[in-house]
Amino acid sequence: MVLLQLLINGIQTGTIYALTAIGFALIFGSTRIFHFAHGAIFVIAAYVFKFTFGDLSLHWGIATIAAVSTAVAVGLLVNFLIYVPIQRHEGSYFTIFVASFGVVIVVQNAIAIIFGRGFVAIETPLSNAVEVVSGLLMAPLFGIALVCSVIILISLHLTLTRTHVGIALRALSQNPELVRTFGLSTRRLSTYAFALGSALVVPGAIFTGAVSGLNPTVGLHIMLISLVATIAGGIGSIWGAAWIAFAIGVAENLVLWQMDSQWSEAVAFAFLLAFLIFRPAGLFRLASAR
Amino acid sequence: MSNCFKGVVASLVLGLVVTAAPAQAEDISIGGIFPLSGPNAIYGEIFQSSLRLAENHIRADGMLDGNLRILYEDSQALPQQAVLAMNKLVSVNSVPFVMSAFTGPSKAIAPIANRTKTVVVNGGGVGPDLAKLGEYFWNVIPLANTEMRSLLPYMVRERGYKKFALIYVDDPLGEGVREVLEEQLPKLGASLVNDYSIPATAQQFGGLAAKIRNDDPDVVFLASYGDQQVQIIKQLRQNGVTALFASYSAFSTPSVQALPEAEGALYATQAIDFEAKDAFTRRFIDDFKAAYGKMPTVYATNYYNAAMIFAMLGKELQVQGKPITGENLLEQRRKTKSFALVGGSVSFDEQGTLIAPIQIMEVDGSGGNVLKIGNP
Repeated sequence: MVLLQLLINGIQTGTIYALTAIGFALIFGSTRIFHFAHGAIFVIAAYVFKFTFGDLSLHWGIATIAAVSTAVAVGLLVNFLIYVPIQRHEGSYFTIFVASFGVVIVVQNAIAIIFGRGFVAIETPLSNAVEVVSGLLMAPLFGIALVCSVIILISLHLTLTRTHVGIALRALSQNPELVRTFGLSTRRLSTYAFALGSALVVPGAIFTGAVSGLNPTVGLHIMLISLVATIAGGIGSIWGAAWIAFAIGVAENLVLWQMDSQWSEAVAFAFLLAFLIFRPAGLFRLASAR
Repeated sequence: MSNCFKGVVASLVLGLVVTAAPAQAEDISIGGIFPLSGPNAIYGEIFQSSLRLAENHIRADGMLDGNLRILYEDSQALPQQAVLAMNKLVSVNSVPFVMSAFTGPSKAIAPIANRTKTVVVNGGGVGPDLAKLGEYFWNVIPLANTEMRSLLPYMVRERGYKKFALIYVDDPLGEGVREVLEEQLPKLGASLVNDYSIPATAQQFGGLAAKIRNDDPDVVFLASYGDQQVQIIKQLRQNGVTALFASYSAFSTPSVQALPEAEGALYATQAIDFEAKDAFTRRFIDDFKAAYGKMPTVYATNYYNAAMIFAMLGKELQVQGKPITGENLLEQRRKTKSFALVGGSVSFDEQGTLIAPIQIMEVDGSGGNVLKIGNP
């Protein structure tokens, strides 16, 4: 029964990881910008939801809209005010990474000043587990997260395969020169990638706030998972990132069955190392002309 | 007027101005190495709140011949950061006295303190090892083993709890707490059914909750701190763990006290009589409440007391015409039998750790309910 409980917990954790990782994978895959500040967008979205839903007692729908709007706005601002000027001056890949890392530090401190450094949580009875069968507990939020993830992943799949913007984003990921040849603006497509990727971070941020709670540094761990999932899943492959992030969440919990929780965090790096050694191009290898 | 004459007059005027100016008191700098960023920054804020008050009181009373300045360095509650901070305070700022917090960072800077003869005073770390870090390392807080020696007999004999599970951070404090539980529980007729070490950065405890439920303990003893212990309590309760929570003085933080899921949890802290009528205690309590709108915590009180101990020793050294150095502070502390601090008169044991009564507390949502007070 413990193993089954750990598996259930793992699926919940994995679902949240997958939701967050696909946003980063979309941005990194399309633009090749190492958007480390994705973790900061995650924190901002979570705190905005907590503030509007928890502190202002607004309806969860309004709070979600507020969180999505803020996440998209901040994501676009980071792109326009930081990444675009650096790219215009032909700043290196590493320069962008350092600038993005700087954004994380600034956001962490701004959140700490505005909301305090202490632990906060999105309070909801939905996060309290109830016994479904003898010895097996499940929180209603688990079901909600699962349904949301399926809806979001199907919607994203349809967007990327059935809409012009989605197809162009996939093309940008694989062959930006060809995209330019067709007269499409890579800058505009990057904007779409940042908007969509930032919006995708919101569900994971809300579920994390309700399940694990928040502090200004919570984005670092989630960013680490997203990074590992994106590389191990195959750069440019959103489904690869989603599957790997999900698998990390499940493995982090299952490892507790026989081992100390010290090993839980090592699982993510074990995944990364295994893929780098045995399948360097990631789970889903994509052709790329970059 | 020749240039030479002008130069002589200018020199004379300058000399007169310099000699006529009142003598400027020199700054007396001491250090504070606290977590000021990261997940444990909340502690740094608590410590600094009372130290600001101590600085004001020491200046207002003219306790020292010179302006007291506390130089803060950020340890992030990490040993390597604390060592960097300690080296800077000792080598660049030449401070004779440093206040530290957290067991790991405190243990890391103790060798520097002993080598450079700089007094380090810990008011927040409670790892049992902190009692053995040398003559220049003092504790103004009873350590976890002392707190647990009072708490465990109460829990086993008076409350009837027999099965304990431990979740501990894999650091010197957590290891110390595990050793005390392994040693004390069998003697009391209770048992440690399982122990789980966690990294200080862990934030997900749903899986651990499943394991704890399977162990079915009467008590889950936590040896964590900061935001993490709040997350553990919340997530364990959300995931169906109904056992009583217990800890050392880490539960006295406002974040645990305000947590509904922690209600009923037991913990031990040093007993400070906040109702004491002496002027010293009343001034601290009244001014703290006026400045921050709430009662001070035990941690806040410890650091106020630490700064006051420095001021008392420094004043005595200045009266004797001795410089305020680490060596002289140590010598003077050994000569001083007791200190009148917040909550009453206290003294140090031979190893430099404060001797104070211990109280058993229960989290009641309003700052803690005292269940029992006794000497360790």
